Amino acid sequence: MSADTSQRYRSKVTQRTINTVQPETDMPAKIEEDTTTIAVKKRGLSLGTTTLLLGGACAIGFGVFSAVESVLLSMDSYPVTSGILGALLAGFVLCMLTLVGREVKGFINVNRHMDRRLDYDALSTSTDKNAILSALKSHAGAFSSHSYAARCYNTFAQAVNSDQDAQEVLSLYRRTVTQPVDKRAQEVIRKESMTAGSLTFISPNHLIQTLMIVWISFRTIRRVAQVYGLRPGTFGNWQLFKILAQNIAAQSIFDLATDEVANQISGSLTARFMENSAEAVAAGALNVRLGKALVKLLH
Amino acid sequence: MRELFNQIIKPVQSLSEHGMSQVDAWFLQERNRFTITGLSRSGKSMLFTSLMTILKYRSEEKYNCLPLLEALPVELVEHMRLEPLPGYDFFPVDDHMQALERGNWPAPTEQAYGFKLIVRLRQTSTLKKYLMPYTDVVFEFIDYPGEWITDLPLLGKSFVQWSDSAWAQQASEPQKFYATQWHDFIEQFDFEQAPTREAVLEVVSQYRRYLQHAKENGISMLQPGSFLIDGSGFDWRSQGFAPLPSKVSSDVSHPWYKTFSAHYDAFQKQWLQPLKDSTFRETDKQIILVDLFEGLNHSRQHLYQLKETLSHLAETFVYGNPNWFARHVLRQQKIGRVAFVATKTDLIPESQKPNMLSLLKQVSEGAVAKFEDKPIEFEHFLVSAIKTTDSGGHDNSLRYTNRDGAYVEAEFEALPAKLKDMEADAHYPVLDAQVPKDHLPRMLNGRGLDRLLQFLLN
Repeated sequence: MSADTSQRYRSKVTQRTINTVQPETDMPAKIEEDTTTIAVKKRGLSLGTTTLLLGGACAIGFGVFSAVESVLLSMDSYPVTSGILGALLAGFVLCMLTLVGREVKGFINVNRHMDRRLDYDALSTSTDKNAILSALKSHAGAFSSHSYAARCYNTFAQAVNSDQDAQEVLSLYRRTVTQPVDKRAQEVIRKESMTAGSLTFISPNHLIQTLMIVWISFRTIRRVAQVYGLRPGTFGNWQLFKILAQNIAAQSIFDLATDEVANQISGSLTARFMENSAEAVAAGALNVRLGKALVKLLH
Repeated sequence: MRELFNQIIKPVQSLSEHGMSQVDAWFLQERNRFTITGLSRSGKSMLFTSLMTILKYRSEEKYNCLPLLEALPVELVEHMRLEPLPGYDFFPVDDHMQALERGNWPAPTEQAYGFKLIVRLRQTSTLKKYLMPYTDVVFEFIDYPGEWITDLPLLGKSFVQWSDSAWAQQASEPQKFYATQWHDFIEQFDFEQAPTREAVLEVVSQYRRYLQHAKENGISMLQPGSFLIDGSGFDWRSQGFAPLPSKVSSDVSHPWYKTFSAHYDAFQKQWLQPLKDSTFRETDKQIILVDLFEGLNHSRQHLYQLKETLSHLAETFVYGNPNWFARHVLRQQKIGRVAFVATKTDLIPESQKPNMLSLLKQVSEGAVAKFEDKPIEFEHFLVSAIKTTDSGGHDNSLRYTNRDGAYVEAEFEALPAKLKDMEADAHYPVLDAQVPKDHLPRMLNGRGLDRLLQFLLN
């Protein structure tokens, strides 16, 4: 500014030296490589395995007990054996109750998460940046730490600055949190459906096939829920159970139909191959249906 | 025999390679030509430096910069590279970064520089992955002295027309105040003497002194601006000219008129037209940089004068939005998207930005009117290529380190939202912020560039 200007015009900016040094600005955060894999906790002996082992032990124990009882019918004084068997039984019941309690908690968590779903329509009309940020923060509060969703939220939080307006912030959230998380969930569903199809294809009988489908379905729900930041084991929604039951029923009906078609054609290896292929495709498709219902619920 | 074979095959190979690269360019390149139009001191060089640095750090180091830039998703960026632009010296980004390192702002540009910035994006679509594995987004930028841009309107004027308009401008504020010495000189000058080389040089030098004085005091409409830079390709000492009083310019037989008119024609043909054809070639997207502080720093009259300058500048570009056929087959180049950008906005508090944006809209009204009846998309942006300031103790203040190294808190009275609201006897002195020591993170934390690029690339 020249001397001419300062003499001719009154300044509308007042300045004073302050007794501090300029704070240093940090480099922006780096965007982490997308190397997250769905966390599968490796434990020595999981609760589920323990339950199964205890169940097996009980069955064996009772079987042994029955055998011993039948041999020594008249000898009713086996306090130690009875005590051990009673303890095994108590442990099994306790673990089952814990599993049930965990699912009840998961059910409550999913429902709470659904209650806290973002109302994008309302937020899209808002011009209050702080209100939007607060709504997003509250929504992200449900994400478990170290989850993919939580990491996406951190990236979003680092990118927010004072220059952005309310709708830009919302759009940034969609782009950095909602869309990547949905995309990741779709990837998980695709992978799980492939697994479901493959396992169905190689299953030797219908019982094993059904058990496989139940197992993969629960695993799909758990892994998708993990992507959305809900803790592992969070699956307890009636709508999902309904879809799961429908899937199993549909798969059973499909099995009957393919069996019949295979019998009509012939009992050849080709017919068996075709039957298994059709069932695998159906299992994959039904798993996708389940996954999509879950994404819709959690989105 | 082998040589003969090579002689035959080489041209075919070269043709084939050229053909392949052309096919690549058609299918794998998305070309974006930007004309960045900015007056002198509008911050073009700093903007380029910042843009190149931010994109480099974003692409190569995956820093979370430019969050609103959806058109170049960071997860799809494979790499970024810089290439020279044929016919131009390479933009001296390293020199500018070294200058910042030493605590100096990039030196004013005194010649044209160019560069191509190519960002390679990975393809996501399954089918396209095999057919077209990547897309190159090519940006072409040209940096040039801002003084040149104000000369472009001279292409459409005769010497007399320009001379008369120059006198009219000097007769009104704010130019009048700075032109006193020049006016006194002209009043006393004897135009009866022959226009010898020495006499011409005396008049032109005196006029140039006025231009320099006015430039130092925030006047943007300075013609010919090319006279102010020795790096310009026109020798003002031997072929200079200046506005002549109407008693001289109205007499076509007057020796001084003949001399200056001939020099003016040479200026147009030898310098201005080739300059427009090379540096200001028409493109499809234009960024008009506006340094509102040049006005706010001085007076309301300066802001009005800035508005007038922008309006004149818009006359020199061809606006329109040709369809795909016209653009790619008929090769019609018209500017279809315009961004008005107020630079250095880190120098005002956050709370004053809405008023700053409103001022920008008003200052660019005249330019907008030039393409209002055409299907042009335009938008206004506030940008800071580097964030030199920090928030202050309250909403209307901010803090910065001045040239003496002192950390200063500056408190602003509310910026006017309209030009007419600015008090005639008041001004907002621009903060004399020095280059911060942590200039790299402050550059990467610059504001508004993401919004601007998103608009232009969308």
